[in-house]
Amino acid sequence: MIRRLVLDVLKPHNPGVVELSEALSHLDGVEGVNVIIYEIDQQVENAKIIIAGSSIDFEGIKKKLEEMGATVHSVDEVAAGKRIVEEVRTPQDRSARM
Amino acid sequence: MKFLEKLRRYIRVSGIAPISRRYFIMNAFDGATTILGIVIGAYVAEITSELLVIWSGLGATLAMGLSGFVGAYMTEEAEREKKLRTLEKSMLTELTNSVVGRASRFASLWAGIVDGVSPAIAAVTCLAPLFFSSVGVFSIDFAIQLSVAIALSIMFLLGVFLGRISKRNIFFHGAKMFFVGLIITIVFLALKVL
Repeated sequence: MIRRLVLDVLKPHNPGVVELSEALSHLDGVEGVNVIIYEIDQQVENAKIIIAGSSIDFEGIKKKLEEMGATVHSVDEVAAGKRIVEEVRTPQDRSARM
Repeated sequence: MKFLEKLRRYIRVSGIAPISRRYFIMNAFDGATTILGIVIGAYVAEITSELLVIWSGLGATLAMGLSGFVGAYMTEEAEREKKLRTLEKSMLTELTNSVVGRASRFASLWAGIVDGVSPAIAAVTCLAPLFFSSVGVFSIDFAIQLSVAIALSIMFLLGVFLGRISKRNIFFHGAKMFFVGLIITIVFLALKVL
């Protein structure tokens, strides 16, 4: 039972972010969508998509994104289960980032 | 998804709206101008049979409609296919079955329909008085005058439409288009006098 999904997505300029986020938000099990464009190229743009819901169907999300002309580059975060577990910083993270 | 909603999405994604507006104005103007030429030409040649003018007009309408449809469809399809392939290269994926590919195919067809239908609408509207004349509602002279007036009005309205799009003086734009029609009319009437 996926509750939160963070995806790195490559998409054409059209359909735009409004259209894309609306299309994703209408899917079953999705309660909220956030799309942030972080890189714009001449033909395409990279977006970070955060999806929250009670029971997110990953395959359904992937299919919808492909239907909108976008492709999933990577799945950057998944939160599943009855409770959303947030990322915690550990000493190892600190040393790894130094 | 409902049909109309789908159409709206394809229009948004393909960005065909401004292109089809251009096609519509260009070709409706062509339609009105062609029929104006035929009607004025018939008047100068002192043709007394409405059917001759109607059939000439309908022949030109069909040719304009077909050439408009085929020309716009094929041009738009080639351009959009090229654009889609470039996008596919950037995306490293096939987009034929995505909304982008479908919108691209829809846009070519839509451009063809607008390009084909717009001159036909303008032309048939201009020919309408001659249809009435052929069934005895008007005299042919009155029908020709009315047909010329309708053609010039269509030109004026297309100019007004352009003025509205560019958010400038609508009457000035209407008058500019109107004068083009007026020049054709005056030139032909001058030929008759000579």
